[in-house]
Amino acid sequence: MDLAALKTQLKNFVQSMFEEGVLDNQFSQIQALQDSTNPNFVEEVITLFCNDAERIINEINRNLGYQNVDFSNLDSYVHQLKGSSSSIGANRLKLACANLRQASDERNKEGCLQALQLITCEYCLLRRKFQALLHLERSIVELETNQK
Amino acid sequence: MAPTLPSSDQASDQDNWDNGRLARKRQLLIEIVLRNRLTALVVDGDTTCRVLEQLLLRSYGVQTQGVDNGRDAVALIASGVKFDLIIIDMILPVLNGLEATRQIRDMGVHCKMLGVTICSGESERQAFLAAGVDVFIEKPLDPEHLVPILRELDGQ
Repeated sequence: MDLAALKTQLKNFVQSMFEEGVLDNQFSQIQALQDSTNPNFVEEVITLFCNDAERIINEINRNLGYQNVDFSNLDSYVHQLKGSSSSIGANRLKLACANLRQASDERNKEGCLQALQLITCEYCLLRRKFQALLHLERSIVELETNQK
Repeated sequence: MAPTLPSSDQASDQDNWDNGRLARKRQLLIEIVLRNRLTALVVDGDTTCRVLEQLLLRSYGVQTQGVDNGRDAVALIASGVKFDLIIIDMILPVLNGLEATRQIRDMGVHCKMLGVTICSGESERQAFLAAGVDVFIEKPLDPEHLVPILRELDGQ
């Protein structure tokens, strides 16, 4: 596939993520921050976000495994995940966090477990799509480098 | 690759892509030129948020430092380091954002403070403003909110 076609494929793929509500306009802001002084910025931010998100989801899972759940501790983790989801433009994941926040506010452990399931699903979907996006970006960089 | 204007009447797809991306970047980031060298402290316990907020500020030429908890923020200010702008989250490890803000203001620090947080309720907003932030912004921090504040700090 030639460079222009790859770039079009990437553009269309990102557009589909917007249309599905997986990403929102905040992700466009992040893409706009990538330039020649920060050529790998998008990949670095995605990697940072995914590492943090997985750590937080694991911590939430662990917290909900206790008989007596520390809901204030849980609140802190949900706050972090919702904040980073919002900052990277992970729209559906951010919305899923709102469900967990509400269940946590109500001290509803069962509700928290259900909300965590949704968060895990949304995160797995997002991660798969981010991996595909980064694969396309790397292919573009490789082709551009070979053409120089 | 630096964007270039097409040299022929018919721009290549790649030229169109690069120029389109540059135009979109300008549109999204609202380009401004600061006359003064501004400094900012970003206080956020989440690494992704902190990195993104710092990079957004740096894209406008603002020199930034970041800390990940309220106690370190207070300690940094107490050590005498001055900032034109402090961006602080409400929920922070060790010392929360409300208390950190109060302590910073109690030290006589009058710089612009933005409370940037995922909490969006009116009670949270009032609490953060009462603690001493000048502006309450729901995450994510975006150019639409940030640029007017930077212009104000720059005296434009």
